[in-house]
Amino acid sequence: MRQFTRTGITLALIAAVAATALAMINAVTAPKIAAYELQVIQQALTEVSGGYTVGSSTTQTQDDAVIEQYTLLDETENVAGYILQIIGSGYGGEMTIMASFTVDGEVIDARLLANAETPGLGKKAEVPSYMEKFIGTGASTPVPVKKDMLDKSDADSISGSTITFSGVAKSIALGSSYIKLLGGE
Amino acid sequence: MTGEKKMVLTRGLFKENPVFILMLGLCPTLGVSTQVINGLGMGAAVIFVLLFSNIFVSLLKNIIPNSVRIPSYIVIIAAFVTIVEMVMHAFLPSIYKALGIFLPLIVVNCIILGRAEAFANKNTIGDSILDALGMGVGFTLAVTLIALIREVFGSGTITLMPIGSFSGVIHIPLLYTYPVRIFSLAAGALLLMGYLKAFFSWYSSRKGGTQS
Repeated sequence: MRQFTRTGITLALIAAVAATALAMINAVTAPKIAAYELQVIQQALTEVSGGYTVGSSTTQTQDDAVIEQYTLLDETENVAGYILQIIGSGYGGEMTIMASFTVDGEVIDARLLANAETPGLGKKAEVPSYMEKFIGTGASTPVPVKKDMLDKSDADSISGSTITFSGVAKSIALGSSYIKLLGGE
Repeated sequence: MTGEKKMVLTRGLFKENPVFILMLGLCPTLGVSTQVINGLGMGAAVIFVLLFSNIFVSLLKNIIPNSVRIPSYIVIIAAFVTIVEMVMHAFLPSIYKALGIFLPLIVVNCIILGRAEAFANKNTIGDSILDALGMGVGFTLAVTLIALIREVFGSGTITLMPIGSFSGVIHIPLLYTYPVRIFSLAAGALLLMGYLKAFFSWYSSRKGGTQS
């Protein structure tokens, strides 16, 4: 019995010391990590803004997938479109997609942010040019959510990462219809 | 430094190189060796974790009960890996992103647990530090060598840290235009590993090495 107590206490002590050390280091690094994440989002916002000014942001609660909504303003301060942060599901679980739309729901640009896709396959969706196949869709032409809605070279480029593609495409399509519901307010 | 101490330090570099001779930690080695900077980053992370886990395992070797030694080692190793992970995420985000899943996986890297179990829990702190440095540097050399060959042939570039006006990427004229793509893919990594292993086996047998 005494031996079990001693074993348990030793292990618990090691774990407690390790946890304390981690908590102290976390207190130092957490703000830096948060600042970096914010910087990544800011950079993505500028990239997808399509030349418009990024206006105020509101955290969305009415739709589960859309987590953040930013307005896009043109020179005369009119609402020219919206940027949405959307949670989609990919091959490796949740992924965050940032997409910008005109008031009609047409895609201006998009980026894949946080994700856990496979390096070399699904991860390729992080490259800005991946999103070119979605630009201009959503209003007069539908967002391509299936492989056969793409032309040959685009369809080849998503080979091996169909689940990632469909996750990204569904999120963008959802964002587009979400914008249409807003009705250009 | 006596000959025996020197042997503890240097054997990890070549004679008992963890990757080429002991064949430990191959998964992260092949996984991250696509760019030189990833190899160096991974190597630095492994040296740090290996050094501190060896120190603490050696310090606590008489306190930790034998029946729970593996869980204790894992807790110690996991703590240091988490430290590395948080510090890299905060200060070197690009390397953190490139290493991805392989960084947390250092916890179960056989080199680190292997050295704790095979060396640090039987030897003094001084020897454990030397062993950790030797093995860690040996791992870094191996993964950087593989990364260098793979990157030069596979993409025709050498990616290092961007310093000042230097972008951090060196382009190699002919190979940049006509890269041998297979080397940057998984199959190329295995192929190259096989060649290097064969080379090291041939070299150590030719030297009439005392062991394998």
